[in-house]
Amino acid sequence: MTVTDLFLQQAINGLSLGAMYALLALGFTLVYGILELINFSHFNVFMVGSFIALWVLQQFGVSGQDTILYGLPLVGVLVTAFAVTMLATGVIGVGIERFMLRRLRNVKGPAAMITTIGVSYILFNLVLLTVGADSKNFPNPLPSVQFAIGGAVLRLREVLIWIIATLLMLALTFFVQRTKMGRAMRATAQDAEAARMMGVEVDRVIMMAFFLGSALAGAGGLIFGLYYNFTSFIIGFNSGLRAFTAAVLGGIGNVPGAMLGGVLIGLIEAIGGQLIGSAWADVIIFAILVLVLVFRPAGLLGRLAPNKS
Amino acid sequence: MLTRRSAFKAAAGMAAVSAVGIGPARADQVVKVGINLSFTGADATSASRIANGAILAFEEADKYHEVPGITFDLEKYDDGSATAGQYDPAQAATNARKMVSDRAVIAALGPQMSGAGKAMAPILSAGDLATITPSSTNPDITDPKFAAQYRPAGKPIYFRTVATDAYQGPNMANYMAETLKVKSVYVLDDSGAYGVGLADAFQKQAEKIGIKVLGRDRLDPKAADYAAVLTKIKSLDPQALYYGGVGQAGVKLAKQAYEILPNVIKAGGDGMQSADLLAGAGFPAVEGWYATIAAPHVTDDPKVADFSRRYVERFKIQPDDYTITCYTAARVIIEAVKDLEANKKPVTRDAVRDAIQGVTIQNSLLGPIAFDENGDLKNKIISVFQIKKDPAKPLDSPADQYKYVGVAPMA
Repeated sequence: MTVTDLFLQQAINGLSLGAMYALLALGFTLVYGILELINFSHFNVFMVGSFIALWVLQQFGVSGQDTILYGLPLVGVLVTAFAVTMLATGVIGVGIERFMLRRLRNVKGPAAMITTIGVSYILFNLVLLTVGADSKNFPNPLPSVQFAIGGAVLRLREVLIWIIATLLMLALTFFVQRTKMGRAMRATAQDAEAARMMGVEVDRVIMMAFFLGSALAGAGGLIFGLYYNFTSFIIGFNSGLRAFTAAVLGGIGNVPGAMLGGVLIGLIEAIGGQLIGSAWADVIIFAILVLVLVFRPAGLLGRLAPNKS
Repeated sequence: MLTRRSAFKAAAGMAAVSAVGIGPARADQVVKVGINLSFTGADATSASRIANGAILAFEEADKYHEVPGITFDLEKYDDGSATAGQYDPAQAATNARKMVSDRAVIAALGPQMSGAGKAMAPILSAGDLATITPSSTNPDITDPKFAAQYRPAGKPIYFRTVATDAYQGPNMANYMAETLKVKSVYVLDDSGAYGVGLADAFQKQAEKIGIKVLGRDRLDPKAADYAAVLTKIKSLDPQALYYGGVGQAGVKLAKQAYEILPNVIKAGGDGMQSADLLAGAGFPAVEGWYATIAAPHVTDDPKVADFSRRYVERFKIQPDDYTITCYTAARVIIEAVKDLEANKKPVTRDAVRDAIQGVTIQNSLLGPIAFDENGDLKNKIISVFQIKKDPAKPLDSPADQYKYVGVAPMA
């Protein structure tokens, strides 16, 4: 492998990681943009999503590493798995908002944030106690097609993950920019009080933010499983923390910022690991975060948070 | 459950004694043995298999009244925590304190993991409570060089029925050079006490015998993605990869190394010898991995057949090698207590410790068992295995999927 091949390969690795972090970061940013609340339960909604996806795939008889699908059955299984997983995690997100966070909405102080940490641990332990602590084998229905670019290898699953993540992010951008609900979300993010006066149903908007964010986390969970072919009750914290960092790096509350942050963190992790050593990956990521925040406290693309008047 | 069962047995024994009218009814003295393993997290399956060995040993000792007047009560302690996802040294230290503060506990078994052992040893030493580990192999804990750290009270309290990584890593390096003809290797560890120590010992010997070490890196067991480091390894093109570490990082490493480094010889220590690895990473990813254990391989030994039969009858699964080291460790405690009873000495912690030090079992399932002045086995053997798929057998059963390939040459 030449040096160029090596960096190309690390860029491919980093982009795939980044796509997943970006999907997760969007959930933090959507909720923060509207409520100024850091939703830590998001970590483990993602983890639960990967288990729901595992269950859906098993219902289709896809299990282990030997069931490979092609053509229409593959597309059908994947579309169904994404739809069911996203719907289910979306509903979990709405449930968390409706039954746990709504009553705390006007409580000052960290009560709501602490509640989300609590919910995170509840989900974590529920999964631990129901499915057990060992890593679960996640099926890999994708044919192992590889493209060689010089000495670097691009696998079908990487291409697929980029496509799916890009489609989901485009759909979200379209939703936020072009639909009535999206406009209501942006209005609420700017000034909830004024939006309410203009006839925006703020409760529905907030529910929608939780639904979308959690659905994207579910998609992230499925992608995680397809990419790494394993899942475990513990995957939420590491990915979640990096995704949260990505959201802050890009500018929390800012949708394109979360995507950019995710991809950057993924690339930093891969290329930093190459140059300095993987053991240093976290040090590099968080050192860069600190540096960026020192010079641009609002993140790379600026922070779009509520204007509290 | 164990407590209730032993209590019931004690009560039944008492009833029997008074029924035949031999003297005043006297309950057996119940002696508690703590067993600390990682029942939560990535090594949970191995933990319960190891614990089974001890359960069987004490159940049989009680059933046949092997030590007259004594009933054993095995109390489980879990050093795995949900947040760590594997063993947690802080939890292990807490468990050690719990055992020490319970005066009924006269000896302990475990821990499973060296990282837990390092946290527990100083506390056990201060409490004069001996433990016998069936599987923790980090050499520092019993090394007299570190006595101030791990046995501040002076006497050895950390005994093992396994050899240490001072043999496991180097002997595997010898095996790679002599049997597998490896010329270059990349070394990884999982940042735990066991993994780092094992990888260090391997690396030192590899360098000494002329295997070129192309690099060394560390995996974060909680991270999901090792593609970056594996890509780096691929660019260096080593013949072999050696991983010092346990299952949590090992499962992901096996999966991703299978794709990125398909033609590299991959090997690990006893941390890569587990049902969790077979189930979590699965075939074809685990195919071809080498793993060692720090004990002689005995589950195929005819002498062990009778043990296996009793074990399968009781637990409905096959024993593995560390089940047997734990069974043997429990036997050592039973022998020690038997010695004390025979000599009419009180069964106290320090007496049990001294008795363990002096125990010699000539024909244990592991061959002769005796401890040196630091608590290590006098007889040290490292066995090498390779994973070869046997589709006819359960795919997550280590006894069926790991094929014994020989003893690693002494360093």
